[in-house]
Amino acid sequence: MASAAQSPAQSDPSAGSGGEEHHRSLPGGREVLNRLIALREGSIIVVTLITAIYFAANTSSFFTGANFETLLPYFAPFAILAAGEVFVMILGEIDLSIGAMYLFAPILFYKLDSSVGLGLVPGVIVTLLVCMAVGALNGFFVAVVEINSFVTTLATLFCFEGLALIVSHGTPVATPGAAVHTTEVAVKHVVNGHTITLQEKVNHIGTFAKIFGGGTYSELIWAVAIVLILQVVLTFTRWGLYTVAIGSNKLGASEAGVRVKLVMIRNFLLCALTAGLVGIFEAVRSGTVQPDPAGANEILFLAVAAGVIGGTLLTGGSGTVVGALIGALFLGVLEDGLVLQGVNANYKLFYLGLAIIVAMTANVYVGRVRRGHVGSG
Amino acid sequence: MSEVADAQAPQTGVVGPSSAPDDVLRVEHIAKRFGPVTALRDVNLHLKKGEVLGLLGDNGAGKSTLIKIICGFQKQDAGKMFIHGELYEPRSVDDARAHGIETVYQDLALIDELSVYHNLFLRKERVHHPIPLLANRQMKREARTALDEIGINIPRIDVAVARLSGGQRQAIAVARTVNSDADIILLDEPLAAMGAKEGAQILDLVARLKAEGKVSIIMILHNYVHVLEACDRVSMIQEGMIALDKPTAETSVEELTDIVVNEYRRAREAAHVAEAAAAKGTANGGAAG
Repeated sequence: MASAAQSPAQSDPSAGSGGEEHHRSLPGGREVLNRLIALREGSIIVVTLITAIYFAANTSSFFTGANFETLLPYFAPFAILAAGEVFVMILGEIDLSIGAMYLFAPILFYKLDSSVGLGLVPGVIVTLLVCMAVGALNGFFVAVVEINSFVTTLATLFCFEGLALIVSHGTPVATPGAAVHTTEVAVKHVVNGHTITLQEKVNHIGTFAKIFGGGTYSELIWAVAIVLILQVVLTFTRWGLYTVAIGSNKLGASEAGVRVKLVMIRNFLLCALTAGLVGIFEAVRSGTVQPDPAGANEILFLAVAAGVIGGTLLTGGSGTVVGALIGALFLGVLEDGLVLQGVNANYKLFYLGLAIIVAMTANVYVGRVRRGHVGSG
Repeated sequence: MSEVADAQAPQTGVVGPSSAPDDVLRVEHIAKRFGPVTALRDVNLHLKKGEVLGLLGDNGAGKSTLIKIICGFQKQDAGKMFIHGELYEPRSVDDARAHGIETVYQDLALIDELSVYHNLFLRKERVHHPIPLLANRQMKREARTALDEIGINIPRIDVAVARLSGGQRQAIAVARTVNSDADIILLDEPLAAMGAKEGAQILDLVARLKAEGKVSIIMILHNYVHVLEACDRVSMIQEGMIALDKPTAETSVEELTDIVVNEYRRAREAAHVAEAAAAKGTANGGAAG
């Protein structure tokens, strides 16, 4: 700080060009913080880091590779769901039916495999096409019939959760293609200088399962790829530009010639697609198709929360997919950290709610600092 | 083409715009209702190449509705439009744009959250090939050049337009239409929300476009001094019809004001008469009851 004030050449620290500036002191942590805050995702990055540091300091096992693997299912599916939801939220709309798509997709996938005999990959494709059709229907009712999106998607949420129960008769079944095969392998061990061979059991899952959610890092890879692609779509394509334009000024966008209805339908379609995909991933990962609407609803709310915490406005006009990923990571870290700290299961939900409020307050505050900061620069 | 031009000569007294074969745009017997409200009754209008036409009229006279019909945002209930003598039936704003019509709306149609240059290029984005990602650097460069050419001073073009002043926003909206290959530009109150200096900039710009003679302009204005200064001809809409159509050289601020004031008086008298009749009606009704 003091050194920055002394250097006359650097009149505007916020416009810092980096590179050749030499301070007598280290390039202050404050400057790094300023840079970070200047990002839309900055505030949630800071909040997530603080949360992670807290748990790392208070538990011995948080910062371990094994825990990272535990953490993955806590956030990767939410990151994918939130990525799709962000596209709807930027429009200033909301899609509650992702809970139903999440629930319905694996059941349809199971039926296509068991009753129709479609095969695994074609089954996934047909399932996702059906999800997209439902998304397009949501978009049609919101954009063309002009029913409020909360109401529209609440209706499709109920319809398809209901349909999921009807089709499945409320009974859990084994996910097709996710069966675990156990084989015996001869493994050589050296014991006291003698080599002995022992038969050991090893569990395998098929390639299909490995790719579609069963592999340890499968969902993480999908999440990162989907988030990156959708962030590029949002920032660097016409589609993204029009999405922001509609959320910011719907009438203005249509006056400028943006085909508002088409873009809205497309975004709802995308959102339903990501939800269906996550539904299949989770069914493959757990090995069972669970017709459990309560669980699906919780997942829906956490996905919306991840988007909002990540810096996407529920009122539309502004949002970030990468932020949604970090928002999901925050929720994952929180959930995992609370488990590691040995918090009583009954208290967990309470703490989760509390932490979300605290995080959002910090988020809003940091966001205000950011805007003030950019505004003065 | 000339047959079409001669086909329908409007016969409503002074209202008749003298159609000519060199009209770039002709509007005939346009009518538009919004439920019980008649916005346009029977509007005839024509625009010559390189001409600046001032569209006048009181609030609610139907000026903005007419603009929105011409630019393809709304569809008329009756009447026809012609561009270069050929029937013109825009299906959308994009379609109108393909016919060479660009518009600055009264509400500006700017997107607050988007940057200045994204607003300038909305629906005309420059993209890379073969992967159609936005060519932001190219758009920034072209936006800067365009704004410099027009003489509009915006310090930073990568900030969101939400951060600009009212006048700057208006300037961006006008620049957006000028920065195109349009041959007909529609300006709905381009001087609203502008300071005197910014307003003068826009009028200078219009004068320069007029001097170049490539585009034809229809401009809604409220200030008659500006109208006489910037326009070649004025058309005044009253109660959904063209009440006056004259070259600016043949009219004056006084005449324009008179028409509006007379109209106002007439309307007030009519209202009085109606009120009196209503009162009488009630009195009679009361007596009868």
